[in-house]
Amino acid sequence: MPLPDTMFCAQQIHIPPELPDILKQFTKAAIRTQPVDVLQWSAGYFSALSRGDPLPVKDRIEMPVATQKTDTGLTQGLLKVLHKQCSHKQYVELKDLEKKWKNLCLPIEKFRAILELDPCDEKIEWIKFLALGCSSLGGSLKAAMKNVCEILTEDPEGGPARIPFDTFSYIYQYLSGLDPDHPPGERELFLATLREKSESRKNNMIGLSDFYLGKKT
Amino acid sequence: MDAGPVKERPVHRRARGPAGGRGYEPEVSITEVPSGNPAGRNCLKFPPPGGTSRCPATGGGAADSLQATRGKPRVAPPCCAGPLASHPLPREPRPRASQHPCPWHYLHVSDFHDSLTPTCLRAHLHRRGGSSTPDMASAMTDHNPRAAEASGTYTYTSRPRAVPCQRRRYRDSLLQPVDESMTYGNIMYDRRVIRGNTYALPAGQVPGQPDPLELQRQQQARRKSLARKRAQAQLRPRTPEPVEGRKHVDVQTELYLEEIADRIVEVDMECQTDAFLDRPPTPLFIPAKTGKDVATQILIGELFDFDLEVKPMLQVLVGKTIEQALLEVMEEEELANLRANQYAYEEIRNVELAEVQRLEEQERRHREEKERRKKQQWEIIHKHNETSQKISARAFAQRYLADLLPSVFDSLRNSGYFYDPIERDIEIGFLPWLMNEVEKTMEHCMVGRTVLDMLIREVVERRLNNYEHKEDTQPSMRSDDVFRGPNTVADPSVSLELQESTISQSQKSLLDKHSQESNPTEEGEPVSKNDQGEPKESGQEELSQPEGSWEQESNSAGGQ
Repeated sequence: MPLPDTMFCAQQIHIPPELPDILKQFTKAAIRTQPVDVLQWSAGYFSALSRGDPLPVKDRIEMPVATQKTDTGLTQGLLKVLHKQCSHKQYVELKDLEKKWKNLCLPIEKFRAILELDPCDEKIEWIKFLALGCSSLGGSLKAAMKNVCEILTEDPEGGPARIPFDTFSYIYQYLSGLDPDHPPGERELFLATLREKSESRKNNMIGLSDFYLGKKT
Repeated sequence: MDAGPVKERPVHRRARGPAGGRGYEPEVSITEVPSGNPAGRNCLKFPPPGGTSRCPATGGGAADSLQATRGKPRVAPPCCAGPLASHPLPREPRPRASQHPCPWHYLHVSDFHDSLTPTCLRAHLHRRGGSSTPDMASAMTDHNPRAAEASGTYTYTSRPRAVPCQRRRYRDSLLQPVDESMTYGNIMYDRRVIRGNTYALPAGQVPGQPDPLELQRQQQARRKSLARKRAQAQLRPRTPEPVEGRKHVDVQTELYLEEIADRIVEVDMECQTDAFLDRPPTPLFIPAKTGKDVATQILIGELFDFDLEVKPMLQVLVGKTIEQALLEVMEEEELANLRANQYAYEEIRNVELAEVQRLEEQERRHREEKERRKKQQWEIIHKHNETSQKISARAFAQRYLADLLPSVFDSLRNSGYFYDPIERDIEIGFLPWLMNEVEKTMEHCMVGRTVLDMLIREVVERRLNNYEHKEDTQPSMRSDDVFRGPNTVADPSVSLELQESTISQSQKSLLDKHSQESNPTEEGEPVSKNDQGEPKESGQEELSQPEGSWEQESNSAGGQ
């Protein structure tokens, strides 16, 4: 409702009723996501909101880790955000991905670096990108797989992060294929043992506990 | 003329309003007050009729103006409003409500002029307001005496009057409430006061059932009586209906008129107010205008500055938003953390549980394995023991029974279980038979000897006898016969014996073998025979040879 031409008193100022809610959600998202560049991120947030896309919001606050292996600012939470945004399609356009990357205020060089690991033109399979991102997070293959599990799982946080074995094996094979250190024989062996475990459970899901001994902190 | 206490009851003018037939007492400012109220009429003092004052007949100059208006002697001279106070109730011909009130009493005085004239007489004839009658009577008598005066026939020393009614018809004062019980009674003896317990109904009321029955019966009885009365009333001869234009009126026809006042005349009056009107709306109150009008001009930005006004709002908005958002985020974080911890814990727990189960399983298996091994071992040992026992038992038994067999056989043999069947057979079968036969032979021998002995005896006796006879004769011939007969030796005593023996021997020769029993006898006999054989001669040689053979046989038999 447009403001009347002449307003006489403060009570005539009208606040749209949806405004507080929008503001609140936005504020909460901002607090959770803790973007480096609020403006950039806000632009991304609102454009996604207006389009109806998944929002670039972290689900949980991620306290910045004091020691980070890589100083890129890419964290598991951010990868999760990206995953949330992009997982509905199998292939993502690079431009789109780049824009999302920027909206998260992540350094673009990192983006390029990741892409260099597995070069492609226009589109990239999202799972691959995710795997690459995870590998850039952690040091070893196992750590990368752990991250993948935690990102992809549907189990609640803290629970057994389980993903279907096929996905797991695909990613594993992809990553170990890229990594020249791992001999294929070892890979096969590893996969075979894991396959047995997953089949024995009759749900073809593989969890963290199967291959990763978590460090108890 | 005895103007006497003309107690004329002035008929009250009945106003419209007043009810109950109470009019104003015609209190004429009359000079005379009836001095005596002889019948104890306790209410009213009648304005004494001045001789001329009231009497309508006279129509005289009563102070009663209304009277003055009438020229007719009659009833209902309206009385001027006199002081009512002490005489609240008009004593006057008041028709009783219950019975046919004389309507003409209530007519306006002014109307009385003509129409009532004829009826007036009738009226006061039937009037029940007793006090009126005397008035009327008095009026009449007034009338009459006037008429009488006019005619000059009769005067009363004391005017005839109706028997006054003892009952008061009017209250003393309007303000005084009617006293129902004239005397104050002792409440203790008042029948209306309930005595006794108030918590229990009297017996008649409590059982509801008989009462309705009784009530019903009573009602029926009442109805029957009513019906009976009605029937009777119908049957009773009644006065015929009044003629057209007329009306029946009750009248006292006794000799002496009586003022009847047991019922107080009551008349119901009603009045009604108008319907309420709605309250009209309050007229708008517009105060008068006061003050001065003044004007001023406002430019655009003066009254309202948006930024200024909006600032507090924004502060609140943004501040609250951020605060709320923070709070919510904190809460969510906390909850999520808790949940994450829970799940992590559960994971660990599950893992540990799995581990525990595994260990348990292992333990169980170990235990079972151990049990099995132990059992196996135990069985082995058991078997071992058993076997050794068996072996030792066997050895011992063997040794124990080693010479069982020979001893057994020996003992059996000793007990005669092993026997030669032929021998046994001979022993069992043959020898008894042999013995029997031997016995039989022996018996035969014995029997033969006995018989021989008897024979010999007989013979000897006979011979003796004969000898004795023959002592006279020859003794020897007969004996040869006798001897030859039996085939024995001739010698009498010895020969008999020999014969006996030979008989027995001959008998014996039939037997096969001997028994050792016969041996001594045979030996004896042959011995005797041998001894006595020598003496025998001729006849015995034959016999002796066979004897000898027999002897030999018998010897040989005896030798055996």
